[in-house]
Amino acid sequence: MGSDLDEQIEQLKRCEPISEEQVKRLCLKAREILIEEANVQHIDSPVTICGDIHGQFFDLMELFSVGGFCPDTNYLFMGDFVDRGFYSVETFLLLLALKVRYPERMTLIRGNHESRQITQVYGFYDECQRKYGGTNVWRWCCEVFDYLALGAIVDGRVFGVHGGLSPNLHSIDQIRAIDRKQEVPHDGPMCDLLWSDPDDIQGWGLSPRGAGYLFGGDITKQFAHTNALDLIARAHQLAMEGYKIMFERTIVTVWSAPNYCYRCGNVASILELDEHLGQEYKVFSHAPIDVRSVPSKRPPADYFL
Amino acid sequence: MLPPRDSDSAIRLTDSDAALARLSAVQKNYLEDPFIKHLVPRWHLQPARPPLINIGTFVRATAIDDLVFQWLQTSASHATRCQIVSLGAGSDTRFWRIATGAHKETLASYIELDFSEITTKKAMAIRKSEVLSAVLGNPSDVTLLHGGAGLDSPVYHLLPTDLRLPPADTLGKLLASEGSAILSPALPTLLLFECVLVYMTPTASSAILQWFLDYFSSAGSPALGSIVYEMFRLQDSFGRVMVENLKTRNVSLPGAEPYPDIDSLPGRFLNIGFKAARALTLKDIRKSYIPPEELERISQLELVDEIEELDLVLDHYAITWGIGAPQAATAAAWGQWGLSTKARVPVEDVEE
Repeated sequence: MGSDLDEQIEQLKRCEPISEEQVKRLCLKAREILIEEANVQHIDSPVTICGDIHGQFFDLMELFSVGGFCPDTNYLFMGDFVDRGFYSVETFLLLLALKVRYPERMTLIRGNHESRQITQVYGFYDECQRKYGGTNVWRWCCEVFDYLALGAIVDGRVFGVHGGLSPNLHSIDQIRAIDRKQEVPHDGPMCDLLWSDPDDIQGWGLSPRGAGYLFGGDITKQFAHTNALDLIARAHQLAMEGYKIMFERTIVTVWSAPNYCYRCGNVASILELDEHLGQEYKVFSHAPIDVRSVPSKRPPADYFL
Repeated sequence: MLPPRDSDSAIRLTDSDAALARLSAVQKNYLEDPFIKHLVPRWHLQPARPPLINIGTFVRATAIDDLVFQWLQTSASHATRCQIVSLGAGSDTRFWRIATGAHKETLASYIELDFSEITTKKAMAIRKSEVLSAVLGNPSDVTLLHGGAGLDSPVYHLLPTDLRLPPADTLGKLLASEGSAILSPALPTLLLFECVLVYMTPTASSAILQWFLDYFSSAGSPALGSIVYEMFRLQDSFGRVMVENLKTRNVSLPGAEPYPDIDSLPGRFLNIGFKAARALTLKDIRKSYIPPEELERISQLELVDEIEELDLVLDHYAITWGIGAPQAATAAAWGQWGLSTKARVPVEDVEE
């Protein structure tokens, strides 16, 4: 599979989808690798941590040109690979192909958009239909989603998760007890990890998203202390400056989709952790908007007119 | 959809955008409006808009309804009828909703102005729809004007014009011709500008407001109110992307130029002699000026993941309202007119 896979990676890097048969084999292989991973996958520094991508393929290429390509750089992508952007298929399949090719150097964890329900609302389902004329590719990808880890921990000291904390989880060990191989539930600890947000409150609050919780600085510091963490890195929320550090540097939001939805005007960032877990944020802007980055038949960005 | 040939047709197309957004919000149960489908061609084939657009449409409509309802109520409580002039009205259904509601007797006249291409279509849609026509009154009292581009009835008046031209030539002739003026300078009158001034130069939009202010000041009307809803703050990074994205649709927004922040918006009214004015972003309106029960109700309608994006978009739209020419005797009552916060009443307080 090695050289075939290298060819597929080259093809996907040109933003050309691979064949349905190739997707099927890639997804099977990915599941074999992912099933071996822990709910909270242990990884070693140095590693570059990335937030939401949302199908913005050409912006992912910008990310790689800033951070280095895999396998030269190790990556942790914290979910939300798909939906909203124009190229969820190419984006997710490229990341998945890199995962299969370099399993030790590429870590993918699950975001709340890696879900059957959400992808049917926010675009990935429709895109698979449009690009493959059926729902097989979407189904296989969703099966892979079910196997993705829920978090990752770098050198035992930096915890990466898509959303945030859960009132039902006090320690990382408790996360290991979750049976993760399922569609994202509507509530409970697995849902919270993928949906919650830090907020300037005390304790826990109701989330305006209708899933997960808001959690305050006290909760964050307690969790970091209990689990001997330097930092919690999470994604999930648009940060106009690319990242947002909160609660005396115990938690950071890393956002990697520049000019999100081709509308928000934000910059993006990645967080490089060196071998001593030193943190460096690299900020980048969106790819030049040209005929390739934005398809000509795209629907215009939505405004109130 | 073919790309618009020129910037005027691009602006006219923004009306279908607004109508489709409203239709979508109605079909998803954000809003109630039995009339909108009669103004949207092939309404049953139109796809729903994204949740973010539905929520924004709901916030905008609910807040403007609130201001209009208060206007009618204040008029009624002073035993006077009032007038409403909707400029760039497009496919708006407000007249039909008022004329079938609690305050129909308070409405002396409702005037809609827009490009003749739009008023022609609207006049045709009204004639074709029994539901819309029935509200206008006796068929013998309803006449087409301006070669089908206008429509006249006892209360409702639809008129074609180009608002960018000097108001004396357009508004003056259409509304205020001596002897046959359809706009009385003596009644409390509310002007509505929903996403219309932003497509014109600031000079042209000031001229319109000035014309109305002069017309009503001279005859001692008890109050002239005005509501403007549109985008602003286009100088920041989100705003610059909006300007670029709309350029690809051939839409430009010269009217937003003087308004880089929320504090600059009331100046639109105050600088030409309105007595008082205030502006709120849709973000703030959603947070504090919509009844909490309603927010709770709509939160159940669709799954909305994009909370930050919603806030970011809503932070670039504002409703500005101003009041001019109030007579000293009635100033206090009309001075109350405006949006107010809708805090949930704590249960304990009710019991006390």
